[in-house]
Amino acid sequence: MKKFLKNILVFFLLALIVGEIVVRMTHTMSDIPQRTIDEHGIQKYYPNQDGYWKGGDHKWDINKLGWPGELPQSYDNLIMVIGDSFIENFMNPNECHQSVFLKQNLESYNFMEAGRSGVSLIEAMEISKNLDSLKPVKTLVYVNDNDFYESIVEVKPMQDITQLNLKSNTIVYGEMKAPVFKKILYNWKLLYYFYTRFPLNSTSDVKEEPAIKKVENKSGLKSKAEVSQLIEYIIENYNVSNKTFVFHPKTNTEIIELCKQAGINIITLDSSKDNKSWTFDYDRHWTCYGHEQVAKQIANALSKS
Amino acid sequence: MFFNSIEFFVFLPIVFGLYWLIGGKNIKLQNIVVAAASYVFYGWWDWRFLSLILFSSLVDYSIGIALGKKDKPSTRKILLWISICVNLGFLGFFKYYNFFVDSLVNSFTFFGSDLSINTLNIILPVGISFYTFQTLSYTIDVYNKKLEPTKDFVGFMAFVSFFPQLVAGPIERATNLLPQFSIERKFDYRNAVDGLRQVLWGLFKKIVIADNCAKYANIIFNNHTEYNGSTLLLGAFFFAFQIYGDFSGYSDIAIGISRLFGFELKRNFAFPYFSRDIAEFWRRWHISLSTWFRDYLYIPLGGSRGGLSMKIRNTFIIFIVSGFWHGANWTFVIWGALNAIYFLPLLLTNKNRVNTNLVAEGKYFPSLREFWQMGVTFFITLIAWVFFRADNVSHAVSYLHHTFNTSLFSWVQIFPATILSLVLFFIAVEWLGRSNEYAIAKVDFLKKPLRWAFYILLIVLMFAFTGEEQQFIYFQF
Repeated sequence: MKKFLKNILVFFLLALIVGEIVVRMTHTMSDIPQRTIDEHGIQKYYPNQDGYWKGGDHKWDINKLGWPGELPQSYDNLIMVIGDSFIENFMNPNECHQSVFLKQNLESYNFMEAGRSGVSLIEAMEISKNLDSLKPVKTLVYVNDNDFYESIVEVKPMQDITQLNLKSNTIVYGEMKAPVFKKILYNWKLLYYFYTRFPLNSTSDVKEEPAIKKVENKSGLKSKAEVSQLIEYIIENYNVSNKTFVFHPKTNTEIIELCKQAGINIITLDSSKDNKSWTFDYDRHWTCYGHEQVAKQIANALSKS
Repeated sequence: MFFNSIEFFVFLPIVFGLYWLIGGKNIKLQNIVVAAASYVFYGWWDWRFLSLILFSSLVDYSIGIALGKKDKPSTRKILLWISICVNLGFLGFFKYYNFFVDSLVNSFTFFGSDLSINTLNIILPVGISFYTFQTLSYTIDVYNKKLEPTKDFVGFMAFVSFFPQLVAGPIERATNLLPQFSIERKFDYRNAVDGLRQVLWGLFKKIVIADNCAKYANIIFNNHTEYNGSTLLLGAFFFAFQIYGDFSGYSDIAIGISRLFGFELKRNFAFPYFSRDIAEFWRRWHISLSTWFRDYLYIPLGGSRGGLSMKIRNTFIIFIVSGFWHGANWTFVIWGALNAIYFLPLLLTNKNRVNTNLVAEGKYFPSLREFWQMGVTFFITLIAWVFFRADNVSHAVSYLHHTFNTSLFSWVQIFPATILSLVLFFIAVEWLGRSNEYAIAKVDFLKKPLRWAFYILLIVLMFAFTGEEQQFIYFQF
């Protein structure tokens, strides 16, 4: 029995080592950059990292300011592009980023991206406030319904995301969720592979789902009031005159209307007239083509204004 | 709980540890661990049906004891029939009630009368056909005085519910498995390693071959009118390897796990797709079921001893009942009847036992004649598999109608090269290992580093080519 158990253990360890090599060589799992929280409470990436996206077809880069993508050659006539995973855009190569396509359409401007997956609207506003030191002429904030709901503690409390507490009218900064575990997980690729393939928290994910649905169903009174309060807070606490909210296609029209009424500049994206899909088949994020179309619509809107 | 699930990956080491470390050499303690683990294993799927297994065990245990005490033939016969009625009654209710009601209503409608009987929303207990036949074999063998009735109820419970083969076989005979619960079981290193190797091969068959073939078989069968004949033939080919990989994979895992616990189960598959005629195919496919029907149905009916009409009748009965055992659908009945039609010419010309040896024994390649024979046998089984896989008879007929026309000679519309390469690799390994109990049983000839590298290759392939997770097909039977 001892020999059997010893051999099983040795074989298991060997299989883990081979598995790790195979997963790394074939880039079965994406490399995930390490995050940090800066002195302003903003979660961003450690500067100057790079890695491969799933499959190894292309690499992502984190620039020296701690944001994905390349920095502009000049900060003159700068337009800031802020958003969540759509702007972070690890799933596409650098040449398919918003800033690249926007630069192709609006050559007289320079563009800089500040994107991170999971960013809420209020966090995007905090980032924009922080980056106002670069004196951008305009800031584009890419948002959808969830970015509003996830900005409000009372609607959808989330510890790892910066939110607004409506009762105390204060910002609650997000905390890093299990940083040690994540560091181990993202560096031990085989473990990360198993974790993704056989998620342990699949049950809790299912439980979380109704909370979102509840919010969507209540697009009438309560949510509306809370979203209105959030918009009021944004108007009072941030310089919105040079900010434009870029709404994803199919965003709740009531939310767009509330922003418009509050005097926020808006651009509404529309993919309904395009026969070709903007998103991946297996992923809700925009493809290279999607990003190109988004940039075109934004450039058109900005030219008109 | 499936063999290819995380739950089982945790469950098995726990039971293994409890069995050998706590159970030690104490047979009773080991049997308690096996019985408890088996009930947890089955209850994980649906705990309500544990009562069914427990009741079935109680009935057959009691009838076995009673048969041991009674000598009067009429009393013994009554006891036997009680067991048969209880076991087949459960099976009939859970598996065939709705089928018979539907068929009855349809027949009345056909003759212009209205009959109103409601079908019931019945959940089919997983593996009911397997453990019902296993318990029945016990009562019949005790009745025939081939086996002494057991007085150890825990051992009997463990025999009926033995988790490695509880839900999809092999269907064990009481004469083989039950005595193993009353003899000392010692841990044997070689046996355990061999068991693990067989589990690995079984998982490879299921995860890499069956699940990947299933993906294409499903696409082609579900949209058969959109494809040409050659693609439909490829769909049947994929299904043939899906069902083989799935079912023989399950049997390998079951046999392998049993070896870890010191039990020897009967072989269930012997490389059936290398058969040279349909009689050989049926000696190599689902052996535990074929021999069950042979011993408990075919031989009592007179077997092949009678005249021509009796031979034909018995052949049709055994194949049709075998088909019907798989499910309450006319497709299975036709599948069985088709196999009877394939088999009869061999039986009537006394050629059903021509190919009893191993094909191309001791050679790397078959002769042209053997290759042709294997090809023809495989082809006719493919046609039968179409009925087995189809949703209903008209689906199968339409599938065959769309297959056998001029488009059969055009190029396939779906050509998954990677999956076909994996199937070819699988066929090659099975061919090279066909003289063994399972294909990779004798990889011992390789030095340890190479052997382990081969095992790791299989594991890597399993993760790299994991198809969409499919339930084991035979669970539904």
